Amino acid sequence: MARKEYLLKQKQLGRRLLGVFPAQYPKEILWAMNLLPVEIWDPPLESSNANAHLQPYICSVVKQGLELILQGKADMLEGFLFPHTCDSIQNLASIINDYLKLEKPCFFFYHPKAPYHACSRDYYLDQMRLLITSLERDFGPMDPAALGQSVEQGRRLSGIIREIYDLRSKGELSASNVRFYEVIRQGEYLHPDDFIPLLEEFVQTHKGKAQKGMPVLLSGVLPNPPEILEILDWIGARVVNDDFLSCSRRLLVPSSPEREPLEALADSYFAMPPCTTKNTPLKERVDYLLEMAKTSGAKGVIFTMVKFCEPELFDVPRVVKALKAAGIATLVIDVELNQGVSGQMATRVEAFLEMIS
Amino acid sequence: MSLAKKIRYGFMKDVGAPAVMGLASSRKKKRTHTPKPYMGPGLKCAGRLKEIMTRHYFLSRYAEGAKPVAWVTSGAPVELLRPFGFYTVYPENHGALCGAQKMGPEMCSIAEEHGYHQDLCSYARIDLGHFLSGKTPVGKLPKPDLLFASNNICQTVVYWYKVLADQLNIPFILFDTPYNFHELNDVDLTYMVRQLEEMVPQLERISGKSFDEKKFRTMIGVARDSSALWGEVLASMKVRPAPMSIFDAFIHLAPIVSLRGLPVTLEYYQTLLDELKERNNNKIGAVIPERKRLMWDNIAIWYKVRDFSTLFAERGMNFVTATYTNAWAETISFMDESRPFESLARTYSRVILNNNLNHRLDLMERLIKEYQVDGLVIHSARSCKPYSVGQYDIKRLLMERLNIPSVVIEADITDFRAYSEEQARTRLEAFFEALEQ
Repeated sequence: MARKEYLLKQKQLGRRLLGVFPAQYPKEILWAMNLLPVEIWDPPLESSNANAHLQPYICSVVKQGLELILQGKADMLEGFLFPHTCDSIQNLASIINDYLKLEKPCFFFYHPKAPYHACSRDYYLDQMRLLITSLERDFGPMDPAALGQSVEQGRRLSGIIREIYDLRSKGELSASNVRFYEVIRQGEYLHPDDFIPLLEEFVQTHKGKAQKGMPVLLSGVLPNPPEILEILDWIGARVVNDDFLSCSRRLLVPSSPEREPLEALADSYFAMPPCTTKNTPLKERVDYLLEMAKTSGAKGVIFTMVKFCEPELFDVPRVVKALKAAGIATLVIDVELNQGVSGQMATRVEAFLEMIS
Repeated sequence: MSLAKKIRYGFMKDVGAPAVMGLASSRKKKRTHTPKPYMGPGLKCAGRLKEIMTRHYFLSRYAEGAKPVAWVTSGAPVELLRPFGFYTVYPENHGALCGAQKMGPEMCSIAEEHGYHQDLCSYARIDLGHFLSGKTPVGKLPKPDLLFASNNICQTVVYWYKVLADQLNIPFILFDTPYNFHELNDVDLTYMVRQLEEMVPQLERISGKSFDEKKFRTMIGVARDSSALWGEVLASMKVRPAPMSIFDAFIHLAPIVSLRGLPVTLEYYQTLLDELKERNNNKIGAVIPERKRLMWDNIAIWYKVRDFSTLFAERGMNFVTATYTNAWAETISFMDESRPFESLARTYSRVILNNNLNHRLDLMERLIKEYQVDGLVIHSARSCKPYSVGQYDIKRLLMERLNIPSVVIEADITDFRAYSEEQARTRLEAFFEALEQ
């Protein structure tokens, strides 16, 4: 079922749809309030209206998100949530809330930035409580029991995604690169009631020996443009793991079922993989990527850098240097969302894979 | 800290620095300036400012090993470092200096050769370029023992300092100031106060000195009084004709950014304020005649300060206020020695770039009215996203609310490869025409 059709159906079922900009937020809280988070990462739209609000040097994640709203294609959403991810999303949130006057509520979620202090955890807990309070003002009270259930559902969901990632890393998943991300990315808008069965079916149908191919890792904000995945499939390269902000970096570490729900969410948040948007120290990030390469047998890492994305671009030189020193080949390419892959870029990817094969 | 280096630092402070200052001022006397008929006399204080900043950078060469050295972001609560005796260096100020000397592209290119993308903030690229090559117009910057940042001005400084921390393997302390999408709330305030309290033992370990709370409170008072004086300096431009230009303020802002909390800053701004009052009493303006009064938005275009100063002045146009210079005066009222941690949190979390865009719009509207502004020049700075994203809407809304003409100049703070003279001139000519209608 297409995304739009699915979302319309969810509305008919009585679920309220909340547009969510990247990246980190406690989606379990939304589920518990019968809100369906509909993430806005890379709507395939031509940026025209957004250019009246944003300069040419602003990344396409921010531009296309705004374009979606300005073209009226987010009208079915009942509000927006803006996690505090970077300067550009921060100001976009303020443009939408303060200047566009959409008559839809806007919510904000600030997660503490590393290096963490002892008080960071308490602050994260307080932020979740504030989010609940502000959502309750527009959408009615949250049932505490429902939160417990959605935290449990989140545990199951992250468990199965982790299993899929592990199978892929061990070469025991037969899905193509394109198919893998088609399925995983449906988590950006499917309710867990629907996403979990989809993933279970995916495991059942694709569990099995992966096709042979050069094992590589992908890193960046998200797997876009999708043509990169097509090229990798076509060449016969196997993505064995990723370090995408939209994918594995948001994979929760399941917490103990005995924990109080918000404490459990805080446990999971602080145990999440290293991430540029949380300011993880570089050494931790390098160690994490090296371990990922080691366990998956990856020979190289391809960094797909969305143009003008400062959090990612600052990390790259040191990370690349450290990976190279450890014998892992790297390729850094600039991408614009939904702009396809140029012949030159395709050649660079091919040459890189030839080099490491 | 080494005893020999401490002695050398002490000697340079007492003997070396005064000698260098004497030399600098004798050099200054030899220079001749051709007076421009459309500009008022230069500020007498400029010489003293040069002495202060030259001394600061000169002494910094000898601070390494003699004093704990911290590299600090412009919006970080430096008052907390002062009681521990840190010698503080501001890479942003150094970046501005490199930009003003038109060294931006050269320094940025060094960082780019090491993989730092041209799309990144040019202050950061200059700093990384300096770090990787040792190049600087100030002789030498001391290696830091600590990196101290606050994300109240941008998240970029955190990414940048994280790179330095990794490269140097030294501690990095971040003062995390949640962005005010709405008004500052108790949860955010408590979080910030706790962070500041938790920094104290860390700073004790790094500096090897115990925390002297009395001294800390004194520093808070000095910083507040300095900022208050800076606010009065800026307010002197409400008078017609304004006694100085915002281009002067861009230069005279250096002590409040780099030497905040130190007595020399307090002393300097008192001297500057006295001079400006005298100019106001004698109706001495920075631009002759002052026909139009303008406002500047965003950080300066450092390599164009001199050119723009002439370009506008010869048309009888003076910049009398700027959101940028105002940032170090705006939140002073929150500084309070009796509640040092809380007042630091309140002060630093409410700076312009940590507040929502409605706040910025209201502030600009107020400044336009208070300073009787006729037009607005908006610098869309490629390097600074939190300052620049939203400017197109601000331009539109200010036109709707106040019917004020404005122009957007697409440029960068230091990297003039991102600046098109032709495009800027075309836009400015249209703006000049609109102003005259």
